[in-house]
Amino acid sequence: MAETIDVEVVYATPERQEVIGLSLPEGSTAGQAIEASGLLAKHSEIDLAKNKLGIYAKLAKADTALRDRDRVEIYRPLIADPKEVRKQRAAEGKAMKKGSGEGE
Amino acid sequence: MLEAILVMAFGALVLGAALGYAAVRFRVEGDPLVEKIDAILPQTQCGQCGFPGCKPYAQAIAKGEADINCCPPGGEEGIHKLADLLGREFKSLSAEHGVEKPKAVAVIDEQVCIGCTLCIQACPVDAIVGAAKQMHTVVSAQCTGCELCVAPCPVDCIHMEPIEETVDTWKWKYPVVPIRQVA
Repeated sequence: MAETIDVEVVYATPERQEVIGLSLPEGSTAGQAIEASGLLAKHSEIDLAKNKLGIYAKLAKADTALRDRDRVEIYRPLIADPKEVRKQRAAEGKAMKKGSGEGE
Repeated sequence: MLEAILVMAFGALVLGAALGYAAVRFRVEGDPLVEKIDAILPQTQCGQCGFPGCKPYAQAIAKGEADINCCPPGGEEGIHKLADLLGREFKSLSAEHGVEKPKAVAVIDEQVCIGCTLCIQACPVDAIVGAAKQMHTVVSAQCTGCELCVAPCPVDCIHMEPIEETVDTWKWKYPVVPIRQVA
């Protein structure tokens, strides 16, 4: 039990989702975890200046210290523009559910 | 007379102490029956049985509070296994809890996803990767096919895709051999 933490690094595309388990020294940061995961070498499309990071669905910075069992996630940008999608749905007369401002 | 009472009392004391010691020494952590039932349940955590997850349902079955035919993802096969384990009679899946469907995983339409995180909050097994205004993606290997993420999506961009039977996904079916009268 020498101070190590178990974390996962995830990069997901629709075709292939990579979940890489790592054992890192305590106090490691999200950036170090991604470095150690080797995902950057495997996926050249990841640009840490553009792809945002997070821990369990919450955006985080690369220098965020990790806790045991954290899951570092590398995100991809949206394709759709949320405003446009909502406009379209409104025009088509489809009701927006929760999360759209107006209720059902 | 007095002797007899003393002998019996002494016997009771010794046996009581032995039982008390054994109860402490050989204490069983958790309920082994619950573990066995939980191992049969499909671990979709879908809540269709009316319990918050597979483990709570297993506990309810073990206590006798729930029937064994309330798990649609487990299907007939699961009910057969539970019936075997518990020595109960097999009964077909109760209709009020849903119907058995082929195994499926959730797939997000990337052209439509607006990054609202509602599906992530709904996912009982953290199988969706994404954050606010970032693309959401389902990790297929972790998706249990519970369909809980489908309803919350405000733009209906999640659909279920059945898993094809391949060498990797094929499973040995529970052998159901009809009992025949032998002359």
